[in-house]
Amino acid sequence: MKAIHVLFILLLLAAWPVVLRAQEDGDTTKAKGGQAVEELKGQVDGMNETLIEMKNTLDALKKVKISGYIQAQYQSADTAAAKSFAGGDFPANVRSRFMVRRGRLKVNYDNDLTQYVLQIDVTQNGIGIKDAYASIRDPWIRTGVFTAGIFDRPFGFEISYSSSSRETPERSRMFQTLFPGEREVGAKLELNAETGLWSTLNLKAGLFNGVLNNANENDRNKDFIGRLGIALPFEEQNLAVDGGISLYDGKVTTNSKFVYDINPASPAKAYRIDSSASNVGNSYGRVYVGGDMQVYYDLPVIGGFSLRGEYITGTQPGSSASNSFYNPGATVTPIYLRKMAGWYVNLVQNVGVQNQFIAKYDVYDPNTDLDGSQIGAPGTSHTAGDVKFSTLGLGWIYHWDANVKFVLYYDMVRNEKVNAAASGALAPFRADLRDDVMTVRMQYKF
Amino acid sequence: MKSLLLAVAVMFLTFGFRDQNETITVKGSDTMVILAQRWAEVYMSKHPEVSIQVTGGGSGTGIAALINGTTDICDASRPMKKSEREKLKQRFNTLGVEIKSAKDGLALYVNEANPVQELTLAQIKDIYTGKATNWKAFGGPDAKIILYSRENNSGTYVYFKDNVLEGEDFSAAAQNMPGTAAVVNAVAKDKFGVGYGGAAYGKGIKFLKVKQDASSKAYEPTAESVKSGDYPITRFLFMYTRSKPTGALKEYIDWIISNEGQDIVTKVGYFPVK
Repeated sequence: MKAIHVLFILLLLAAWPVVLRAQEDGDTTKAKGGQAVEELKGQVDGMNETLIEMKNTLDALKKVKISGYIQAQYQSADTAAAKSFAGGDFPANVRSRFMVRRGRLKVNYDNDLTQYVLQIDVTQNGIGIKDAYASIRDPWIRTGVFTAGIFDRPFGFEISYSSSSRETPERSRMFQTLFPGEREVGAKLELNAETGLWSTLNLKAGLFNGVLNNANENDRNKDFIGRLGIALPFEEQNLAVDGGISLYDGKVTTNSKFVYDINPASPAKAYRIDSSASNVGNSYGRVYVGGDMQVYYDLPVIGGFSLRGEYITGTQPGSSASNSFYNPGATVTPIYLRKMAGWYVNLVQNVGVQNQFIAKYDVYDPNTDLDGSQIGAPGTSHTAGDVKFSTLGLGWIYHWDANVKFVLYYDMVRNEKVNAAASGALAPFRADLRDDVMTVRMQYKF
Repeated sequence: MKSLLLAVAVMFLTFGFRDQNETITVKGSDTMVILAQRWAEVYMSKHPEVSIQVTGGGSGTGIAALINGTTDICDASRPMKKSEREKLKQRFNTLGVEIKSAKDGLALYVNEANPVQELTLAQIKDIYTGKATNWKAFGGPDAKIILYSRENNSGTYVYFKDNVLEGEDFSAAAQNMPGTAAVVNAVAKDKFGVGYGGAAYGKGIKFLKVKQDASSKAYEPTAESVKSGDYPITRFLFMYTRSKPTGALKEYIDWIISNEGQDIVTKVGYFPVK
């Protein structure tokens, strides 16, 4: 055996305890490492469980959607105390005002086939309920939706076009008159297929109290409201044509024996009065027929534009000075039966991504039997509720970002000029009233 | 009042026509985000004057951004819904412009250790609606099927629900992952997991072959099977713009659907539209 081999064996023997200890240390480290991995795995499993738990909670919360918008505005009218459909009449001695026109908060619980919606409106005037409804979608072909509660009346286009999206600050005069508050208490069925041949058609129809969204039923009648719509997209041409026909078939019940309507035999088209005692409790038709059309076209470079129009005609039972629908409450109120008609045309031109130009012309004639020159002639008993109005509105919208937009809008309101002999409440209508209104609005929507 | 009106009008016009941003923004589908980033990188290297920002978030998020005006291009792995087009009409008075930018075979992922090789569309539906819960029924181990799915803002989720589940709801046991990469990652680590997503994401997992029904031939999502339509879950990947594109936006989109742009589609793992 060579000396070097002896030396190696001696070194090995001397190092043996160290090797043994190192092996023990290695084993201990391995054991510790294994233990740490196990602990880590346990922690990860625990975190996974927590994550799954949190995810379940998050998934449930995702079904709740909260949205809202605030419209704060400054308005200036031609004169103090101007009567206006641009957000309500100006109070006495008031020519300009700041106001919160709408302050909406909407909670929507969307469980795919079922839906809960509650929307409130908070302004300087207090809190009001706008929407409160539940809806169920059919689980088979997912085309039918049944809704019950307080929601938009299914008539025409402008009612269901959200105030936060609508370009003009307010709906046209005829809609504000015929459908105050836009919403009603009732139940409706909606058919609207997502795909296939029938997807171009949609139908909404329902029964309603025929009063207001914040009032109780006041007679034995239920009013039918429905719209059959069609939407024709021509994608290759960047063109879309939508439209629909609508029907409101309802009744109001009078609490007065006095029933007024225009006497067709009268050369001056005076009102005639039926004062039979048996009139009390009679029902009279509140019937509107409407047609609407919307055309959308993408103008190269400039942006999309839309041209929308609606026409409504029918019979409106109202009261003496008001052409809003007859809703007497506890007060005994004579009923006035008028044939009415109204229409509007609205042009919106997008200019790039952030700007929009708006022009709108709307007309509401609450009594189509009468010309302006006939209104207020001696012995006719006509009222301010018979006067026709037209409004030309011009405006500009600037979208600051996805949430904020500014609106500048100017309403030029014209009334028909009544008979030169008109007196009393009709006398101011012998000339055009000074009731133009400028609106500057900021809207925040989320 | 006329002077006040004039003053406010001037203010509006001043704000309204401030300088517009020239950058092209792209937002939407997570399935498409790798492809969109690759397109942007290559295009910007050749057109340094153009800046393109790409973000994901899901097709639903991208479409919402298109509607609220915060993106120029929306990437979507599903067609826009009628309700979404209505919102676009309301805000921009347009229907939107749809551009088919690529094709994708929506792949079924399983762990590499899973012996199951193929499924019919009906079997996939049974698995994801919770009617079938054990791999044994499909020739696999006697083990519970672990379902991985996507969030409901994902176009892939919507496409899968509409076209594979035929509108039925996903099983409550399905775990919703934030992106396709997360689905792939989960399946790669889970022997009994199954997931779905774009074919370009199939790294570290195995594609199941899919067949129309029991009597059909099963196919993997390959260029041939997707192009021919033999692979049963084939879809287009879309880009949407609000209006007909012009200027730099048009040039970029034209490049994407050119041969050069479509070559990148192939390189990333999807399939060209032509």
